[in-house]
Amino acid sequence: MDYELFKKAVIAQCEAMGIEDYELYYETGANTSIGVFGHEINDFASSEAGGVCFRCIAGGKIGYASTQSFSEEQAKNLVIWAADSASVLESEEKVFLCDGGQTYEPLEDRAYPLPSTEELAACALDTQEKLYAANSAVVDGSQTQVLKETSEIAIYNSRGLDLHYENQVAGIVVSAVVSDGTEMADSYEIKLGELSKLDTAAITAKAAGDAVQKLGGNVAPTGQYPVIFNPDAMSSLLGTFSSIFSSENTQKGLSRLGNLEGQMVAAPCVTLIDDPFHKENPSPRNFDGEGCPTHCKNVIENGRLNTLLYNLKTAAVAGKKTTGNACKGDYASSVSISPFTMYLANGSCTEEQLLEKAGNGVYINSLDGLHAGANPVSGDFSLQSAGFMIENGKKTDYVKSFTVAGNFYQVLKDIRALADNCKLPYAMGSTAFGSPSVLVDGLSIAGK
Amino acid sequence: MISREICQRVLHKAVSTGADYAEIFAENTVNHSIRMIASKVDAINDAVVAGASVRVYKGLRSVMASTIDTSEAGLLRCAEQAAEALGQGSAQIDIVLKERLFGDIHPIKIVPSSMSNKEKIGVLKEAYFAAREYDPCISQVSGTLLDVDHNILIASTEGLYAQDRQIRTRMAISAVAEVNGESQTGSCSPGRRMGMEMFDTIDPKGIGLKAAKQAVIMAGAGYCPAGVMPVAIGNGFGGVIFHEACGHSLEASAVAYGQSQFTGKLGQKIANEKVTAIDDGTIPNAWGSINIDDEGTPAQKNVLIEKGVLKSYMIDKFNGRRMGMASTGSSRRQSYAYTPTSRMTNTYIAAGDDKNEDIIASMEYGLFAKQMGGGSVNPTTGEFNFAVNEGYIVRNGKICEPVRGASLVGKGSDVIMNIDMVGSDLDMGQGMCGSSSGSIPTNVGQPMIRVSSITVGGR
Repeated sequence: MDYELFKKAVIAQCEAMGIEDYELYYETGANTSIGVFGHEINDFASSEAGGVCFRCIAGGKIGYASTQSFSEEQAKNLVIWAADSASVLESEEKVFLCDGGQTYEPLEDRAYPLPSTEELAACALDTQEKLYAANSAVVDGSQTQVLKETSEIAIYNSRGLDLHYENQVAGIVVSAVVSDGTEMADSYEIKLGELSKLDTAAITAKAAGDAVQKLGGNVAPTGQYPVIFNPDAMSSLLGTFSSIFSSENTQKGLSRLGNLEGQMVAAPCVTLIDDPFHKENPSPRNFDGEGCPTHCKNVIENGRLNTLLYNLKTAAVAGKKTTGNACKGDYASSVSISPFTMYLANGSCTEEQLLEKAGNGVYINSLDGLHAGANPVSGDFSLQSAGFMIENGKKTDYVKSFTVAGNFYQVLKDIRALADNCKLPYAMGSTAFGSPSVLVDGLSIAGK
Repeated sequence: MISREICQRVLHKAVSTGADYAEIFAENTVNHSIRMIASKVDAINDAVVAGASVRVYKGLRSVMASTIDTSEAGLLRCAEQAAEALGQGSAQIDIVLKERLFGDIHPIKIVPSSMSNKEKIGVLKEAYFAAREYDPCISQVSGTLLDVDHNILIASTEGLYAQDRQIRTRMAISAVAEVNGESQTGSCSPGRRMGMEMFDTIDPKGIGLKAAKQAVIMAGAGYCPAGVMPVAIGNGFGGVIFHEACGHSLEASAVAYGQSQFTGKLGQKIANEKVTAIDDGTIPNAWGSINIDDEGTPAQKNVLIEKGVLKSYMIDKFNGRRMGMASTGSSRRQSYAYTPTSRMTNTYIAAGDDKNEDIIASMEYGLFAKQMGGGSVNPTTGEFNFAVNEGYIVRNGKICEPVRGASLVGKGSDVIMNIDMVGSDLDMGQGMCGSSSGSIPTNVGQPMIRVSSITVGGR
């Protein structure tokens, strides 16, 4: 059966069981991707997936169940499972569903024509040729992938909420593999947008150029240095530690920012913004995972923690209003908390001036192993890094296979300056992170 | 799930434009999870994942289409889409499907869905409160009990029609210890390709205690110093070093494309002669075990490295074509929506003949990484990293004070040459491995080993 019929079957089951407070969260999407290896298309994948999550409040608790199989039997099961779950939950925190009749900021229309399968294939082959042409060091192993994606979210609940959201993206992922005969290196570049308007020559040149830069290079010397994180590195670090701004984590003692709203938590030059409507995020959102309206907010303003991120439940615990930051990782996940586009605001100097301020130190443009080497509860991190030495205010030798270690809570306080080059390097999906280049004092480098 | 007759018609459609191989993969999976935090059961989730994909090959080209509509019409649409994407041509092969039963080498005594939420909560609470009550400085504990009932069907133009039911269970406890306003964490998360009988052999209390002890030890630890030094890595999850430093680079998905430092090195010495490494999907009820892989090839025990010499890669059918080599039963995918590729199952360094006390005694100054965290690798360059969750300084051949915040980085081809002592206490640890075909359960394992020299990230 289709989703509309399925929804009716779920509602009928709720009525039969006397369940009055419930929500259906439906998410569906289709994507097509084409990959080129060598000079030929070697991979084509298209998928249509979707699912629905049912939540209901029974006895003051909220039960969940989800499915991808839309049948009469599953409709019944969802309601029975969710009600059964609710009956054994113990948490005493008050639970909520979003009320209908709220006002939502309209989303600007950013739609562009999506490419046909033939256009995807032509673009993939053409980009791959440009990649080979970009640098003589580019070797087989290099790959281009071109993709298009549409997605849809609908939230319906018994309190009059009936929201609908649609989005689309197209884009190119280029991974360049280069060799100098003795060593190999790689780098990748992602660009989203209307395919015909993407500058594939520039994308391939950037990927190939970055990969070539990684050939050779030394291990950085062990010691304490001023460190510049470039926008890519700082965005990934910010993304890894963004959970410290979740009120769910502060309330559960999993973040050290509890009770610090209104206090200084960062250097005065630091302003951290969460903007659900950011121009460069291809997936802007005007309602959150619970259906509440979203808005732009300064999380940190000139070093002071203005607000944590809240959903309906955590806001009630704190006696505040939700900030519209409820999120669901996918349709089946429990409601949690996440930023939309979280970024550090630009500082006032150029990157060159930032390098001069650093004097002698390390410039990091790549961090790896963030899922393992960083602990958002303690704030500690020790991460595989690559970048350049900074000598007398200039980038010099390429360095790699070293680690940078510190504590993120301390990093926020030790930011000496920010450049004016903010970008969102990995904006894909509704959560994205951005930063300009950032100069941080006193981090530990472990190398030779 | 889907009848042989329907599969036959769908495969016919899939090869109608000249594919030389086609395959249907269908699944119906129920994920059930119970979560506790702040000493209360906080969330219970049942999630059904159901859908199918049709994949076709022609030479070195692969096309896959997937859908949640598993009716005959939905599957035929999928097959048509795949056939069209492959291009112009006509059917070249006959298809006769014969049902095959591979048998089950991973018997399940208590299917999780036959136990009530209340009974499962009872088991989770044993572990949870063992951690919560371990020490007054334990400030928070979170716990999850997860069970997965994954049913798959594979039919292919090679005549295969087979089904498999894969049940797994896992408990994860994470504890936070707070000392002087600073928080440190500890965790323990064993899993088995078993039902709830897993807890007959693994005491839930022990899971909670291990997590809590680690958090308390780390809360009292200073920072790990930085530098290059010898490192002894403990057994069990310590095997993540081989998984990251070498395992991923031996997967056909990297090797076939020249994206591995080990491409073209079969028969060559790539590791220290102390190292014998194995990927074995057949270990009964082990976390990474399978009966058949996700292309329907039976699981195998593959010796990857024998006394330092590279013996085998891990290969799936599609990448095997490019390499001119047969599948090693290594094709895996998180679900029907991911294109399968070569992946690990239970991967370990085999037991050696060194004694643990000799390994520690051999180190004048170094690190004992008792408990490892996760890591990652770039197979092209071999550069890897992983985190040390519980570490101790070794001084004059003795294990001394605990240290926190350490990570290890290096290059895979260097580090496996530097494994110069291998103990005998082989054990396994469980993880979820993420790669292009999604997140799958894998075991890593080893006895205690010594790496003669590696960069330790600390401060």
